[in-house]
Amino acid sequence: MVWHDVAPAEDFEPDVPKVIEVGEERIAVYHLDDGFYAISDICTHQYAILSDGFCEHGKVECPLHQACFDIRTGRALDEPAEIALATYPTRIEGGVVQVSLG
Amino acid sequence: MRTVIVGAGQAGRRTAEALRGLDPEREILLLGAEEEPPYDRPPLSKEILLGEARPKGLMQREMNAYAAERIDLRLGVRVVAIDPSGRCATTADGTRIEYDQLVLATGAQARRLKLPGADDPRVMVLRNLDDARVLHAMLRPGLRLAVAGAGLIGLEVAAAAAQLGCAVTVLEMGPRAMVRSMPALIAERVAGWHRAAGMVLHFGCALTAITPQNTGLLLATGQGEIEADLLLVAIGAVADDALARQAGIAVADGILVDAHGRTGTPNIFAAGEVASIRQPDGRHVRFESWQVAQQQPLAVANAICGIDKPYAELPWHWTDQHGHNVQVFGAHEPGFDWIERDDGAGRFAALGLDAEGRVRGAVLIDNGRDATPVRRIIAGGQRIDRERLSDVSVGLRLLC
Repeated sequence: MVWHDVAPAEDFEPDVPKVIEVGEERIAVYHLDDGFYAISDICTHQYAILSDGFCEHGKVECPLHQACFDIRTGRALDEPAEIALATYPTRIEGGVVQVSLG
Repeated sequence: MRTVIVGAGQAGRRTAEALRGLDPEREILLLGAEEEPPYDRPPLSKEILLGEARPKGLMQREMNAYAAERIDLRLGVRVVAIDPSGRCATTADGTRIEYDQLVLATGAQARRLKLPGADDPRVMVLRNLDDARVLHAMLRPGLRLAVAGAGLIGLEVAAAAAQLGCAVTVLEMGPRAMVRSMPALIAERVAGWHRAAGMVLHFGCALTAITPQNTGLLLATGQGEIEADLLLVAIGAVADDALARQAGIAVADGILVDAHGRTGTPNIFAAGEVASIRQPDGRHVRFESWQVAQQQPLAVANAICGIDKPYAELPWHWTDQHGHNVQVFGAHEPGFDWIERDDGAGRFAALGLDAEGRVRGAVLIDNGRDATPVRRIIAGGQRIDRERLSDVSVGLRLLC
C-alpha cells in the first residue's frame, strides 16, 4: 500500500479540506470530529470540485447543483447526484495525515 | 388505489418516485407523450449541444428501473381529455383510464414567434431532447446563428454555439439580458462574457420579419437586417395547461394550486412547471426551474398520501455560461440595494437588500460554497449591518 502525505494534522481546520492530486485522482481530506476522511473531490453528477462547496456536519455540498455527499461514506444523499464518491483510507504518520489509493 | 400522472418529465418522474417511496401498494401510471423515458432538461442547452449523447445530468433511467419500482411508465401516450366527475382520463387512441388521483405534470411549451416565415425549418425552438439533438447536428464552425431572446436558454445556447465556432448574434426586445431571471448588475457581467467571446448582442431589438431565402434567413429587426443560417427562438415558455382548462380546472398562465399542489378540483393535482403555486401572500407564481420540478412533486406526493408537507423552497435557479456558474436565490426586485462582494479570487456574491435592509435575494458567481449561507441569511430575515455584509474578509457563513 502506498501512502501519500497530505498535510500535518495540526494544519487542518474544521470543515476546510486539504486537496492533493495523485496521478489522475483529485482527493480531498477532511478533518471531522472523529478522524480524517478522504473522498474523491469531483462530483459524480457533473464535473465540479467538491472542495469548493459548503461543508458542515460531515457533509459536503456540490458548489454547482447542491447535491450533498456524506464525507465518511462517500454516499450521495440527494439528487442530482446518485453515485457515491470513492473513499480512501487515511492514517497519521509522524503527525502527518496520509492517504492511500490502495 | 390508482394514481395517474400525466406528463413523464422530471416532475412526473419525481411524483411517481416519491409516491412509490411513501406507498408500496398504490398503482402508479406515468404517461408520457414523448418516446423518451423521463429526463431533466438542464443538459439540453449545454452538454447535448456540445456533443455529449448521454450526460448524467439528464437523470434518465432505463425503462426497467421503472418496472423495478412498479411504476407503469407508458411512453408515446398523449392524454387528450380528462373528466373530473367521472375520474377518468382519455388518451389520443381513445383509451379511458380511471384514476383515484390525477397529477398534471405537463410542463410547458416553447413560446413561438408569430411572424410570417417562422414555420421555416431553419427557425427552431429548444424544448425537448429531440430539439436539442437536431440543434446539435446543425451547429458547426462558421454557422451564422441568430438567437431571438437573451433569456437563460437563449444565452446558454449562444454560449455553446460560440464554443463550437458559430458566429452568434443575439436579438433581445428588452433593454438587457435575462430581465426575468437576474438582476441588472449580474446581467451586465454575463453580457460581458458573451461579448468577450465574440458574440454580438442587440438590446431593444425586435424581430419584425423573417424572409426565408436559399442562402439563409433574412431577419428584419428594429436595428436593420441580419442574415442568418439558423434562427433559434428562445422567447420563453407557455404553461401546457390546456387539459386543465378544458376540464374546468382554474388556470391563469398555469394551473392554480395551493402549496400542496392541489387544484381547486377534487383529486386533481398539478406538479412542476405547469403549476402556478399559491404563495403565503395569496399570489400565485409559476416557476420555470429545475428546482420546482425536483421538489414541488414531493409536496404533491405527500398530499396524495395525506401528509402535510407544503412546498416552501426558497426559489433557486442557476445557469452555466462560458465556464462560469451563476446561481440566483430568493427574489430580485428592481428597488433592491445590491451589495457586491468580490473576493479577488474569482468568487463573487451579490446580496439584494429590500427597503427595510433585509437580505431578500442573492446571486453567486463561481461561488457555490456560499449557497447554503445565503439561503440561511435570506430565510432568517434578520437585518444585518450593511458594513458587515460588505466586508469580504467576513465569510458569509459567519453571518448566517
